[in-house]
Amino acid sequence: MQKELIGRVLNNIEKVMIGKRDIAELSMTALLAGGHVLLEDVPGVGKTMMVKALARSIGADFKRIQFTPDLLPSDVLGVSIYNPREMEFEFRPGPIMGNIILADEINRTSPKTQSALLEGMEESSVTIDGETMRIPQPFFVMATQNPIEYEGTYPLPEAQLDRFLFKLKMGYPTPREEIEVLRRAEQEIPIDNLETVITLDDLINLQHAVKDVVVSDAVKSYIVTCANETRNNPFVYLGVSPRGSLSLMKACQAYALLVGRMYVTPDDVQYLAPFVFGHRMILKPEAKYEGIESDEIIERILAKVSVPFDQVSIK
Amino acid sequence: MSEMRLDKWFLAILYLLAIVLLREWLLPVMELTQTGQISLFLIFIVIAFFLALQSVKWWISSLIKVLYIIWAIHYTFFEGILLTKETSTLLLEDFNSNFAVILVGNWSELSNPFRTMLFFILLWMTTYLIRHWIESRKSIFLFYSMTIIFIAIIDTFTAYSAKGSILIIMITGLLLLGLLTIPKLAEKHSLSISANKLVSISFPLVVILVISGVFMLTLPKLEPAWADPVPFLTSVVDGAGEGGNGEGISKTGYDPDDSRLGGPFIQDNTLIFEASVPKKQYWKIETKNTYTSKGWEQPSESSVITYSSNMGMGTFAESEGIISGESKIAQLNILQRFPFIVYPYGMMNVETDEDVQFMKLEMLEQYRTTIGDEPVSLDSYGIEYIEHDFSLKALRETTMDEVISLEDDFADYLQLPKELPERVGELAETITRSSESVYDKAKAIERYFGRNGFVYDQKNVAIPAEDQDYVDQFLFDSKSGYCDNFSTSMVVMLRTIGIPAKWVKGFAPGELGRNENKESVYKITNNEAHSWVEAFMPGIGWMPFEPTIGFGGASSIEYDIELQLDDPEVPEMPEPERKKLEQKSKPKKEDKKSAFDFNKNFDFLKQWIMDKKWILLAILSISTFLVAILYRSRRKWLPKLLVRYYRFGKNDWTKYAKQYVSLLKQLDRFGFKRKNGETLLKYAIQVDAYFGGDTMQNLTTAYEKGIYGENRTEHDWQRLQELWEHLINRTSD
Repeated sequence: MQKELIGRVLNNIEKVMIGKRDIAELSMTALLAGGHVLLEDVPGVGKTMMVKALARSIGADFKRIQFTPDLLPSDVLGVSIYNPREMEFEFRPGPIMGNIILADEINRTSPKTQSALLEGMEESSVTIDGETMRIPQPFFVMATQNPIEYEGTYPLPEAQLDRFLFKLKMGYPTPREEIEVLRRAEQEIPIDNLETVITLDDLINLQHAVKDVVVSDAVKSYIVTCANETRNNPFVYLGVSPRGSLSLMKACQAYALLVGRMYVTPDDVQYLAPFVFGHRMILKPEAKYEGIESDEIIERILAKVSVPFDQVSIK
Repeated sequence: MSEMRLDKWFLAILYLLAIVLLREWLLPVMELTQTGQISLFLIFIVIAFFLALQSVKWWISSLIKVLYIIWAIHYTFFEGILLTKETSTLLLEDFNSNFAVILVGNWSELSNPFRTMLFFILLWMTTYLIRHWIESRKSIFLFYSMTIIFIAIIDTFTAYSAKGSILIIMITGLLLLGLLTIPKLAEKHSLSISANKLVSISFPLVVILVISGVFMLTLPKLEPAWADPVPFLTSVVDGAGEGGNGEGISKTGYDPDDSRLGGPFIQDNTLIFEASVPKKQYWKIETKNTYTSKGWEQPSESSVITYSSNMGMGTFAESEGIISGESKIAQLNILQRFPFIVYPYGMMNVETDEDVQFMKLEMLEQYRTTIGDEPVSLDSYGIEYIEHDFSLKALRETTMDEVISLEDDFADYLQLPKELPERVGELAETITRSSESVYDKAKAIERYFGRNGFVYDQKNVAIPAEDQDYVDQFLFDSKSGYCDNFSTSMVVMLRTIGIPAKWVKGFAPGELGRNENKESVYKITNNEAHSWVEAFMPGIGWMPFEPTIGFGGASSIEYDIELQLDDPEVPEMPEPERKKLEQKSKPKKEDKKSAFDFNKNFDFLKQWIMDKKWILLAILSISTFLVAILYRSRRKWLPKLLVRYYRFGKNDWTKYAKQYVSLLKQLDRFGFKRKNGETLLKYAIQVDAYFGGDTMQNLTTAYEKGIYGENRTEHDWQRLQELWEHLINRTSD
């Protein structure tokens, strides 16, 4: 039942997004797990398209914030302005008060503005002029950042990266996919005709269902062992925090639900670990000199940690 | 399989090593057949390999080889560097005549040129074989091991000494093996290895071999752990132990030649005969009387008395000093046959199935067995003998005066070599001074060895030098030796003080064991070969003495007079009785019986194991081998067993989990090694890719549902059982 609902969304997205089923799946996973996604990629590969499609499919409110160096926190959160007619301050909600938010080029704005967004993401609420306002649920932020080598950027602090459930890379479509993109663009602008396939309530129900996905002790200990390995790895300066383990577990539950399985398997852990752990580790300079990236370290850890597979090794 | 072309230089090195090995074959052949001109053959081998290396067309290379053979034969036999017309005619003639010889089968008449040619052809074939091993099989182990076996055999059984040879073979052979492994592995994994890579890969091997070779050369070498097998083999082939004597290492055993005594002995467990006899007996073969300073000799025999079997011998003379007992039968079963008999003291009669004559050589006291003047070796016979004791009373009454009066009659038994050092006689005098009777004097000498630091030893036994006396050396110098040293010394010392004495050879009583029919018999092996002493007691006769340390007495004494406690003659308690007494005096009285029974059972078990040790060993090794084979091949048969096993019992999660894990193990044996970090599903996909279908994935999903999803009830057990059986059966093909 749940799988069918999720499948509908994914198929709907696929109508406008050619290829990139995995990114759609992972975004959906993050949405189900109540997490946010950081997309690190060059412009023009269809990030906006994907988020828009997702928002339309679930009938959610879609907002987009284009981050620029002169953007202020109030431009994100909203501002109270004096209304002379009413003789009182009136709150004008900022773009953060939506369901699905695309935060474009988040690393181009000042840290102050970045943290305004990130706080909102973490707390699911914003506080303006001493007044706390809940952000409507579901709340899903997909932030994009240009690869940090670009000039004029404010790289996100490591602690703030922790706010994102996944950090993904979209990559270019294959030539065949790209041709398909062009062909579709000839006929119509597909995004405008996209229908809503599930309701927001359905989505909230799905988010609740994620909590029912079974994570056996074996898998929990597998996740913890993997996280521990990142802390003891010689190339890693700062390993994955317990919040990272927790995020991985939640992500796994959501992903299991997405594939229609009511329990988490080590396969889920292995599939999601790079996306969850990747941006949560700080590598030592040695690793950078040797050209080792965090994905590779995670790959090595996963190859090393033995998968729990029988009752003896689980007990 | 595609064959890898070996690098030319690499191949050249391999060929060079093969030539070195082949040379080690040639050397002994040349030396043993006394063929000269090894260089001609070596050049031929080198040419053969060189032509192969240059990949010369077969007909050109054959032509070159044939020409070389002709030239070599010409050079060797017709003494000329250049081929002449005559050569061809001579060779053709030689050919013709030899073909005729071959047709007739008269192999010994083949001419030398023809033999040489045949040898060349043999070498030609060998080089082909080696090239085949190196180039296409890439495995030289057969040739290598054959070389070692060949050289070992040649070294053992012929005059050829392979001391340096074996070192060269070990090193070159191992190098060849190691180098060949590289292309072999490369071929297996279809890799190509560059020349540089080859050098770097083989470098450690070369270093290791060079280092170990240097160690091999420089380290001190242990003596061989096994004795030279040749004497043993010849002894088996020739019958009774014909070991060498006097020089080098000999084996224990009866040896008719005692002219040079001394030197170490090694154990030889060859069973000589089994004796079914009520009491332990010394088994006499012969006596020797002439001491030569180096050993014993026996002048040619003058008188021979012939007895017939079953007719009585009458060698046992009753006398006052001898208390005779019952007549007993000793049944002997001879395994290593010889044309004379071994006999106990008091022999009266020999019982045989056939009519056999016994020629007693009077001086030698040896009974040769003949049938109608032809020597025969009996395989079994019975000896009737009379058990007898010597009366201590009579023995004590013997006096030296009586002996001296007999001096002339016993000249043979008082013989001593002129060069015998005087201190031997002086020592004998000192030992016997305080003794009165002849018996006591003899007894004093018999006991002397046990109380004066003499050692029984078979290994550290000196051989007397040219100017040394065997007895003198033992008594004053080495003080360590075996029966021959003790008995000879006693005989010589007895003679120096004027007591007639004989040197007796035969076998000690042996060990009590069980024969094939489970009867208890004394087993006498070559290790029981023994020598002892007979001294003449006036008025009584010849009495055996046992001077050798560690052996029981040869004669029994009847204690027919009252003995003082301090009398040296107080009988020592026989060994077994003493043991029993010790056992009785142990405090654990209640355990006594069970302990005794246990000991008895244990002894019996030990005996049984010893009797059957070869069979047991064979059974053990065969069963170990079978178990090993079964274990190695368990992939084939285990699934069938598992399928049967898991058909029983209720189909539920517990059983399924076990089934699944056993399937994982079986797949591992089949060749699917699951990596540590590999999840079950990924593994299953791999397995299914091999077998086709999605059986393993289905099984895995169900298993995962139970193990990770903790859902252990909602399964279609019947279907899972079928899938499982299907898959596990496929792994046993």
